[in-house]
Amino acid sequence: MPLVLVVEDDPAIRSALIRSLGERGHVVMSAADAMSGLREAVQGRPDLVLLDLGLPDLDGTELLRMLRAVSKVPVIVATARDDDASLVRALDAGADDYVVKPYSAVTLDARIRAVLRRTLTPEADPVLVVGGLAVDARSRTVTLDGAQVDLSPREFDLLAYLAARPGQVVSKRELLTEVWRLPYGGADKTVDVHLSWLRRKLGESAQAPRFLVSVRGVGVKLMEPDG
Amino acid sequence: MLLTVAASTLVVLAAFLVPLAWLIRSSTADRATSEATVGVQPLAAVVGVADAATIRLAVEQVRSAVHEPVTVFLGDGQVLGDQRGRTGSVRLAALGRAFSADLAGGAREVLIPVIGRPEGTAVVRVEIPAATLTRGVTTAWGVLGALGVSLLALAMVLADRLARSFLRPVHSLTETAARLGAGDLSARVRPGGPPEVAEAGRAVNRLGSRIDGLLRAERETVADLSHRLRTPVTALRLDADDLRDPEERERLSRDVAELSRTVDQLITEARRPVREGVTASCDAVAVVGDRAAFWLVLAEDTDRRMDLETPSHSVRVRLAAADLADAVDALLGNVFAHTPDGTGVTVRLLPRPDGGVLLIVEDQGPGLPGPQVLLRGESTVGSSGLGLDIVRRSAEASGGSLRLATGRSGGLRVLMELGPPN
Repeated sequence: MPLVLVVEDDPAIRSALIRSLGERGHVVMSAADAMSGLREAVQGRPDLVLLDLGLPDLDGTELLRMLRAVSKVPVIVATARDDDASLVRALDAGADDYVVKPYSAVTLDARIRAVLRRTLTPEADPVLVVGGLAVDARSRTVTLDGAQVDLSPREFDLLAYLAARPGQVVSKRELLTEVWRLPYGGADKTVDVHLSWLRRKLGESAQAPRFLVSVRGVGVKLMEPDG
Repeated sequence: MLLTVAASTLVVLAAFLVPLAWLIRSSTADRATSEATVGVQPLAAVVGVADAATIRLAVEQVRSAVHEPVTVFLGDGQVLGDQRGRTGSVRLAALGRAFSADLAGGAREVLIPVIGRPEGTAVVRVEIPAATLTRGVTTAWGVLGALGVSLLALAMVLADRLARSFLRPVHSLTETAARLGAGDLSARVRPGGPPEVAEAGRAVNRLGSRIDGLLRAERETVADLSHRLRTPVTALRLDADDLRDPEERERLSRDVAELSRTVDQLITEARRPVREGVTASCDAVAVVGDRAAFWLVLAEDTDRRMDLETPSHSVRVRLAAADLADAVDALLGNVFAHTPDGTGVTVRLLPRPDGGVLLIVEDQGPGLPGPQVLLRGESTVGSSGLGLDIVRRSAEASGGSLRLATGRSGGLRVLMELGPPN
């Protein structure tokens, strides 16, 4: 069972995380401030650290830098700041992934599993291939029949998410929470418009789909085109 | 400033130069007169004692020495030298008075009586022509005039220099104030010039630092607010996820999602001053055109006709580009979410005569029974009530308003009025 260290100053979140992550098969230890968190991360040898950036004694990004100097343990950063600058700073400081508050236990569990999967099998091929489409997660490039496709960061994330689940119908709600990391608003058309752009750039349309197939009322799937 | 200096310098120069010019003229005339008088003095001595023939000889000698017409009137009526009439002034001199008198045409005569001759008092007369009396005056006046002009020019140059050294700090002050007003909070004055101007410069610098500090503090507060609000919502969400009863869990999760959206909106709103800085403004035509182009692909994929009417020139509005883009996204997103596929939409941007712009998004859908409910967040969960609330806040922040109406074809018409920049 993976050992997860939760560094979080809010006692309510801490106890909720211990409970819900425990239910989902993780062994959880916790620290309430940066310094004890650093000590636990070094002495307790956790498999993963969930680090809240808003700690009372030290900025979480600073702690992350200090931790990276002594350990390669995977770190998921939890932050209330959803601006790009804060996220980039956290990732640059050595975070493997991030969750924006308020996150759900399901999302967090999925991210913990994804990060552990990535770090435990580092040799896995980062290039996802579906038919003539190749999505390279490491260099963030996409080629279609050998030709490079120019995608916006959001379009790439969307395609990479779908390419990781070929043939599987993914709901728009899931895309919004997992790719946009936004709470689902029910009537949100953000996913639709990005799907339209993605279709355009992959040389197809909703009327004549090739890779991206909508399943009415359920969601969308990425699949190898027929013929 | 320069005109004042020119006028006062002219008055001073006139008060000084005009009497000086007059003095030069009269002293030149006096010098010529006394020279002529001294020149004929030896003749007077000769006239007193010698006979007519000797006098005639002496007159010739004196004439060639002084180069002026010299005449001797003897008591017996004889006139020697240059022939002149025995005028009243000659007769007056014969009474025993020496004097000089101005003649018509600017010339001057000097008359010296010589007493002691047996036939009566003789008079020696020398005539000084106008040209001799004013010799060199024109040159002197020219020099004076040149001096006056150069003094005036010097005064102007000095005044200009002084004015510049005074105006430079004032100019820098107004420029800095304008930059601060336009949102460049790094703008600072280098205080200089007169004490009052330097003090005003320091005051502007203090003001700039203060605004900068306040905005920084605001940024911190908003970041803190985001942390403080989202942390308890996270705890709530995690607790909701833990509920055993699926129905209860679903209901609570929905409420938490709603709460979370409200918190997001609150944070977005609180960030507005941080986003905008001192002044917010953007080109509505560019932003609306960009967002419409972004949604156009979805319109094409859903068989919708999308028309865009914007002015050919840019129109600035008092709203940050990101806020206007969010508002347009919310308005267009609403159309796509609430009308069936195939429903057309028109986006129009009409510049207002008093500045600002009116953005009209109108769909050809079935319309809504009570459009006003959209303005509140009280409609069913997941509706775009909050989306339109964001649009309304942005419209009001720009000094405009949001109105909902029924369009010509019965669809919803949203009118977002945006104010001009400050």
